[in-house]
Amino acid sequence: MLTVALGVGFGLSYFALTDARPIGALQVGPWSAWPDAGSATPDPYTRAYLARTGALELGLSEGLQFLAVNDSAGRPLDRACRYRIEGATPVASFWTLVALDLQGVNIARPDGLAAVHSARVARSQSGIARFYVSRGLAPYTWLEITGDGPFSLALTLYDVSIVGGAGSTVVDLPEIVQEGCA
Amino acid sequence: MIRTLLWILAGLLLGGIIHIVVILSLPLFATHDVWSRITELRATDKAVVLPAATPGAPNPLRLDPEMTYAVCQLDLEFGPGVVNAVMPNAFWSVAIYNRSGAVIYSTTNRDGIGQTLDLGIFNPAQTRLLAEQQLDVNEGLLIVESQSDDVFVVVRLAPPQPAMRKRYEAALGQIFCGNFR
Repeated sequence: MLTVALGVGFGLSYFALTDARPIGALQVGPWSAWPDAGSATPDPYTRAYLARTGALELGLSEGLQFLAVNDSAGRPLDRACRYRIEGATPVASFWTLVALDLQGVNIARPDGLAAVHSARVARSQSGIARFYVSRGLAPYTWLEITGDGPFSLALTLYDVSIVGGAGSTVVDLPEIVQEGCA
Repeated sequence: MIRTLLWILAGLLLGGIIHIVVILSLPLFATHDVWSRITELRATDKAVVLPAATPGAPNPLRLDPEMTYAVCQLDLEFGPGVVNAVMPNAFWSVAIYNRSGAVIYSTTNRDGIGQTLDLGIFNPAQTRLLAEQQLDVNEGLLIVESQSDDVFVVVRLAPPQPAMRKRYEAALGQIFCGNFR
């Protein structure tokens, strides 16, 4: 009985604070955000999440950060692979995208681009942003990453009104397409 | 058989209780939360510009490498908090956090306040004095009420180009932040 109790109790807590997509998170394709993290009265799960991460969260009226650990096909992001990120973003003042390891350290090449910025990104003829995240050379805007193993992508939309008002609206976020692995 | 099932059911119930206790008590035991990280910066009553988040370096506050940040910690026990600055003509935003790292108020320069940041933070007692007009404040002061005395303010400023970063960080360092007496 104790084994079941301890397993369920701590297991569920750990799950709720690490991969809690079913609880309170906003999920769009591979991207997930925690909009409650920027609210004035967070629920107990969000409070525990804030205490655990210890990060400076964006206020709800400042923007929203989306995280992806998988590509659009559901496979975990791997630094050995080349990813094309393409698609429309919600209306925002601007957005940035960074590649992070699992500890939150930026894994871009130290003297290269540290982040992809919406004002400095190649766009297709329809105005849609298109860029690559990979270790090997890539066309368009290229975010060169270093190292091996899994990573995550953080897309921060500044001054965006996805969660303004009563209900959240459906949003479009770029697709993360794997284009082969080294 | 039934006895085993009952034991498992009891285990599940106890597990649920443990889960609730863990979630509710975790903020009390966290040692590396955002408040302790901000306290280490010694930003009491002054604006401290955070170093840029560079690739390869640990980034516990999860800062955006494209943004510049200033933080300032205030204790409202010594009077209402004031944050005052004229900001460069670019996107900027301001957020007020309480001790647990929750954002109690945030706004951006697009909310009609332009380049002037003029913010007053009042605890409930000071808000009452304000309502009774016993505190004299400037017209156009953005008034925020905080339920607790421990707050910190983060101003985010977005340099349009990386080359402008130094100048924008200097502008952030000029922010006045302190108690209103």
